[in-house]
Amino acid sequence: MSALEIRNIHKRYGEVETLKGIDIALESGEFLVLLGSSGCGKSTLLNIIAGLAEPSGGDIRIGTRSIVGVHPKDRDIAMVFQSYALYPNMSVARNIGFGLEMRKVPAPEREKAVSETAKLLQIENLLQRKPSQLSGGQRQRVAIGRALVRNPQVFLFDEPLSNLDAKLRMEMRTELKRLHQLLKTTVVYVTHDQIEAMTLATRIAVMRDGRIEQLGTPEEIYDRPTTLYVAGFVGSPPMNIFDADVAEGGLRVGDGNAPIAIPARFHGKVSNGQQVKVGIRPEALRLSTDEANAPRLTARVEVVELTGPELVVTARIGGERITACLPPRTQLAIDAERTFAFDEGALHLFDPETGRSLLAS
Amino acid sequence: MSGTWITTRAWLLMLPLLVVMISVIGWPLIDTVRLSFTDAKLVGTEGTFVGLANYAKVLGGSNFQRALVTTTWFAVVSVTAEMVIGVLAALLLNQQFRGRTALRALMILPWALPTVVNATLWRLIYNPEYGALNAALTQIGLIDSYRSWLGEPGSALTALIVADCWKNFPLVALIALAALQAVPRDITAASLVDGAGPFNRFRYVIMPYLAGPLLVALVLRTIEAFKVFDLVWVMTRGGPANSTRTLSILVYQEAFSFQRAGSGASLALIVTLLVTVLAVAYAALVRKAAGAT
Repeated sequence: MSALEIRNIHKRYGEVETLKGIDIALESGEFLVLLGSSGCGKSTLLNIIAGLAEPSGGDIRIGTRSIVGVHPKDRDIAMVFQSYALYPNMSVARNIGFGLEMRKVPAPEREKAVSETAKLLQIENLLQRKPSQLSGGQRQRVAIGRALVRNPQVFLFDEPLSNLDAKLRMEMRTELKRLHQLLKTTVVYVTHDQIEAMTLATRIAVMRDGRIEQLGTPEEIYDRPTTLYVAGFVGSPPMNIFDADVAEGGLRVGDGNAPIAIPARFHGKVSNGQQVKVGIRPEALRLSTDEANAPRLTARVEVVELTGPELVVTARIGGERITACLPPRTQLAIDAERTFAFDEGALHLFDPETGRSLLAS
Repeated sequence: MSGTWITTRAWLLMLPLLVVMISVIGWPLIDTVRLSFTDAKLVGTEGTFVGLANYAKVLGGSNFQRALVTTTWFAVVSVTAEMVIGVLAALLLNQQFRGRTALRALMILPWALPTVVNATLWRLIYNPEYGALNAALTQIGLIDSYRSWLGEPGSALTALIVADCWKNFPLVALIALAALQAVPRDITAASLVDGAGPFNRFRYVIMPYLAGPLLVALVLRTIEAFKVFDLVWVMTRGGPANSTRTLSILVYQEAFSFQRAGSGASLALIVTLLVTVLAVAYAALVRKAAGAT
């Protein structure tokens, strides 16, 4: 039995179909991140789970119980909103306890739950304040506290960190991870930030145009993207993707490059004369030091950017640009021809027509 | 010094407005104060100084006391009803339904009508011979025969209050609707997830957003209702048997019908003072509300 099961969910607004059949089954304690750019349908899906919108078709189950048509308050879910959605006229303590108050939990029990939650989130000293007297990070903690205190079956997070500055966002991300490890709750978390997705999720659903593009663990999504979209969306800087032709000696890329040998796992998946899209992550590239056996690419260095922990190099191969992440002290002259080597395991091949990985088909 | 120069220029720029204000507000006010200490008639005599006699006569007289009660009753009942109906209408018009925009536009109509037109309209509705109210009430069997709603002391004031409500509830509704639209969607969603039913949601989540704007509406409407003149004048002229004689009507009658400029002026100043008290209370409440958020 799954903790949360989403079956063939559709959502239509008039002519526009924003969700086109979503299927996900979550085990208890899983942290699912719905990842995608704006308009992909991830927030709509979250609102449907919360009961703030009704699906046009399909079913959602928490445990064995279908919750479609059930009032949000009876779904045994709690939600943390992007804007925090704290009640401005109530103290922090009352904000956290409001859900319990509405459920007629006796005051002593309520106060105990509120103070335990506040302790967990390290906001005990803020309980008497109003939301307007709190910083963004503190407000977010209160919003999380309001969800935690009810101890629901499923937690829903709608881009909870996107209103925080970069430093605070990182702190809160770690905090959320700590809480999840501690409480082992089932979470559905919406974000467009792939770092949040990679760090927090036990599974990621990459969404696009109302469909799930790929559902898998962070490692699967990062190491084995099944589509060009996922390959390009997850990773920063994004995966290098360029055209190549399959020829006798291997993959022909640009001018003046020796063909790249096709790894054994693609044998039988490609044929001579076929056009493919090649994908290599920037961090898989290294400056070649005469490695005769490793596949290589020769490119002209265009731009060099030091970010601190690494050197991001943009280089040109014919009409294509590639990016490489190198160790920070690497010496590189602009306009020099350099050879970048990579392991054959880092090579991804995609069908240019369908955008699907050749391994997936 | 540049400071002095800027101050001089500021006074120069304000001068035209000051001249207008002093001539149309300041001077008449001062002259009214002077008049209130005399026994001047509207035409003819300049009047002689009588000290506080006018005030003593007005405050001690039953006319003033009765008009004060009538005005207070009119203001309290009509404003309360306008607030309740206005908020309910705003809650309704804040829902999603077909024809909402049309209904919102239609609702403003009574408020957009000139008071005199509104008053005439309601006089027709209340007409004892062919009025729509009589027709409707007889047809549904609530009354046996046509009644003169504005001609009976027992019903005239209530009839006026209904007419005033009809005209002014849209203002409250409009203010409340604007405030409702400012309630963040996430906050209402959060309260749904938190399990607040419609009543608790209104009380704990929506009301805090409504309170400030409604307070402004409440005080503005109270001041307006306290000064009511045109509606009463067109519909009943203060009758029957002075049952609808409000303070403003009394001032008018004293100064113009009975041509007693002196005591009329003293009455007008008392009304001004009462309204000023309301206005000061309004300013204090608004300041307090602004400080609280």
